[in-house]
Amino acid sequence: MPSASEATALEALSNDFAAAVERAGQATVAIHARRRIPASGIIWRDGVIVAANHTVHIDDDITVSLADGSSVTATLAGRDPTTDLAVLRGATGRAPIGRAPADALRVGAIVLAVGRPGASVTASMGVISAVGGEWRTWQGGRIDRFVRLDLSVYDGFSGGPLVDGAGRALGVNTSGLSRASAIAIPGATVDRVVDELLARGRVARGYVGLGMQAVQIPEEAARRFGSGDVGLMVVSVEPSGPADAAGILLGDVVLTFDGEPVGDPTELLALLGPERIGKAVPAKLLRAGEVRTIAITVGERPESVPQGRGRRRR
Amino acid sequence: MLPLSSIAASAVAGGLRASTVQVSSGQRGAGSGIIWRSDGVVVTNAHVVRGRGAQVTLDDGRSFDAVTALRDERCDLAVLLPELAGSDVDGLALRVPQIRDPRTLRVGEIVLALGAPWGIPGCLALGVVHAAHEPVRRGGREAEAEIVRADVRLAPGNSGGPLADAAGRIVGVNAMIVGGLGVAISTRTVARLLRDLDARRSPRAA
Repeated sequence: MPSASEATALEALSNDFAAAVERAGQATVAIHARRRIPASGIIWRDGVIVAANHTVHIDDDITVSLADGSSVTATLAGRDPTTDLAVLRGATGRAPIGRAPADALRVGAIVLAVGRPGASVTASMGVISAVGGEWRTWQGGRIDRFVRLDLSVYDGFSGGPLVDGAGRALGVNTSGLSRASAIAIPGATVDRVVDELLARGRVARGYVGLGMQAVQIPEEAARRFGSGDVGLMVVSVEPSGPADAAGILLGDVVLTFDGEPVGDPTELLALLGPERIGKAVPAKLLRAGEVRTIAITVGERPESVPQGRGRRRR
Repeated sequence: MLPLSSIAASAVAGGLRASTVQVSSGQRGAGSGIIWRSDGVVVTNAHVVRGRGAQVTLDDGRSFDAVTALRDERCDLAVLLPELAGSDVDGLALRVPQIRDPRTLRVGEIVLALGAPWGIPGCLALGVVHAAHEPVRRGGREAEAEIVRADVRLAPGNSGGPLADAAGRIVGVNAMIVGGLGVAISTRTVARLLRDLDARRSPRAA
């Protein structure tokens, strides 16, 4: 039979949740950097605010509303569209958000998403529904853990913290990396991207200067070459780019890159992290009925138009 | 934090269920309602009762006819009175819930919704307060209704049913779903409407 203590326990849990939202809400800010309703941000370190890149459409004079209703002006320190993170500098004078230990990311953990899409703090509750290993976003960004959430991420929640029952941040919520379900960027990834953006204003990405298209390799040929059944046919070569300098030609079919089979352009993109910049990476390819290996010295991708701009996502 | 195994909402939900009724007014299925007072006053949404009266079914299956005493579409609230003699109402031994002013709610507090989503009575949904207390204005005029927004999964049939806190105290009347969020009309708005109704029914009260 239900007891009085059971009911009291539910009230105690309710109070814990409210206290967690209150605590995390102190470091959760509203970022006014788009035409629509403001999005959320987090005071991550002293004077450093993290937001979701796709919600930050301007670089300067960004109004940031704080928990007490006051506001400060912040400036973009850098953005990384591949992980959907933007870092702002602004003298908030507030303590950064408390952090949960990394091992708190467990399937079934009860979590709260905290947001400030305006003056007031708002929240939703759910559980971590899946935790996986490292993964690559559709733009090639490296995320240390795959964290899927069973909770509702409402309009303006992107950039807000995912917190545990004590109000400690586990990561940053964003709707910009997946359309299928709510996803959080774990704290470790945020730390890494924040370090890079504060130091260099960008996250370096490797590039080879190739346009490619997946092609089927006939079964008989695949057997003869000892390759997989798909490869990437070169359909454009950027003049004087890394691949051009290495002698890659139109029509070459790339089978492996640094020993990894590539059957889709995103698989090659995923291999172009900052760690390979400046390295001569062997590419096994098919040319004129023969397999050969050519080393491509990976370059650093030149600055381009920020890819997060103008996107209509919350 | 408490061990989760010691926490359940069944006791609170059980108490709340006894104060939650089904309201059917003939057309298009049923909605929910809340027993508000021991004199049989039932509060529901205006969009649940479109006619002059409705049938009210209690959690234990007993039912009575009620007449629509007040219907306010702007606040989406309706008040039903039983078509019974006072002694018969007493005989029903209605279970009246505690009421809480939602201005004291904090974001993140656990809330429970009871009702008949998709016509299944006595269903419980659990969530948290999303925004505690907001006035709803139309065209910049004085606030007509105050609302509580909750991160809780509602469905048609929850309309008119209670949104309650972790202690089972009613904070609002579930009215609609907006952007995935449950929207409940504040108990303060209900209290204001009931004051107006009582003033009309007893002319001597100033």
